[in-house]
Amino acid sequence: MVKAERKPVQEIFDAINGYGKVLNVGCGGCVSVCLVGGQKEVNALNAELKVHLEKAGIRKRIDGYTVERQCNESFLKELDSKAPEYDCLVSMACGAGVQHMAQRFSKIPVHPVVNTVSIGIDKDLGMYEERCRACGHCVLGYTGGICPVTRCAKGLFNGPCGGTNGDNCEISNEIPCAWLDIYKRLKNQDRLGDILKVRPHMEWQNQSPRTIIQEPYERRYLA
Amino acid sequence: MFRKKNTAGVNSDEIRAILDEKKAKMKLSLKACAHCSLCAESCFLFMGHNKDPKYMPSYKFLNSVGVLYKKKGNVDKQDLGEMRDLVWERCVLCTRCYCPIGIDIPDMLALARRICRSQGVYPQYDRE
Ligand code: SF4
Ligand code: SF4
Ligand code: SF4
Ligand code: SF4
Repeated sequence: MVKAERKPVQEIFDAINGYGKVLNVGCGGCVSVCLVGGQKEVNALNAELKVHLEKAGIRKRIDGYTVERQCNESFLKELDSKAPEYDCLVSMACGAGVQHMAQRFSKIPVHPVVNTVSIGIDKDLGMYEERCRACGHCVLGYTGGICPVTRCAKGLFNGPCGGTNGDNCEISNEIPCAWLDIYKRLKNQDRLGDILKVRPHMEWQNQSPRTIIQEPYERRYLA
Repeated sequence: MFRKKNTAGVNSDEIRAILDEKKAKMKLSLKACAHCSLCAESCFLFMGHNKDPKYMPSYKFLNSVGVLYKKKGNVDKQDLGEMRDLVWERCVLCTRCYCPIGIDIPDMLALARRICRSQGVYPQYDRE
């Protein structure tokens, strides 16, 4: 799922500075699972902000509310009657949720309070590791299930760069070279032929938002 | 079995106010459910749990919102805790269930979640 981390409290404090009534909106989806933006975290952040405000001698109303998923209209619309009561909304959801909320309540300033970091896996309680950057052209099939976009510092598609440092990446002695791992995994599977084929590079330029429609629904939306 | 209610920490007026907001839709949905169980096969969790009736969308809706409505919001933390397990652990709100009569089951389950949340009852993903 999407993984995120909280922004520093000072940054949030600066963002809401100047607004009298603030609503902090949590999301019951991915950010709840990675323990950064669910109902519990909304309560914790609000308590922290209130302490900050008190210390600074500022009077402000800060409320909290958590919707099931900010990226889904049927849940977001629950805020329709509530949101207009506030001068500013802050969102604890990922970037998609923040944008969805900003679009729906376009007259009200919306600020993110988390940084969306990755699509990742749960390593342990409160510990997450990035695995995918949603590049849109998944190559895991020929890289032995190791993502070169995420794991290789240069996002290379056709084998390692010249800088490989022993088993590690040239950028650090602690980061294993993605392409060495890809090589080892494919060798184990006797599939080294797969990385000998030259793959076209990724066209990162001219990116526009990627909208997908699943095939069974094409008739519904593209007719 | 009879259990003594402990309503500490539960604001029944607040629950009733939320129920009232959706009263018309909720009443109609509760009345309209024909117990045909046709919604069941559209729920992947029902299918993935050996067609356990406790995973049927209608079961989940009648045993959450249905109970809250019948009890007029007079529930305690234990009731809400049981409801939490029902509406979160047995439903992911994928919104894919299909009711031939047109009951918006996910909306009803979301309502049950909203009521739980209003009383500070929600999933604890950091439970060890
Ligand atoms: S808004 Fe973002 S964090 Fe929340 S459920 Fe959607 S994708 Fe996940
Ligand atoms: S290649 Fe990597 S970044 Fe691209 S979709 Fe696959 S896992 Fe994600
Ligand atoms: S050393 Fe390996 S991981 Fe690092 S940039 Fe080069 S190919 Fe990528
Ligand atoms: S919304 Fe819940 S009940 Fe409906 S199909 Fe999805 S998991 Fe099943």
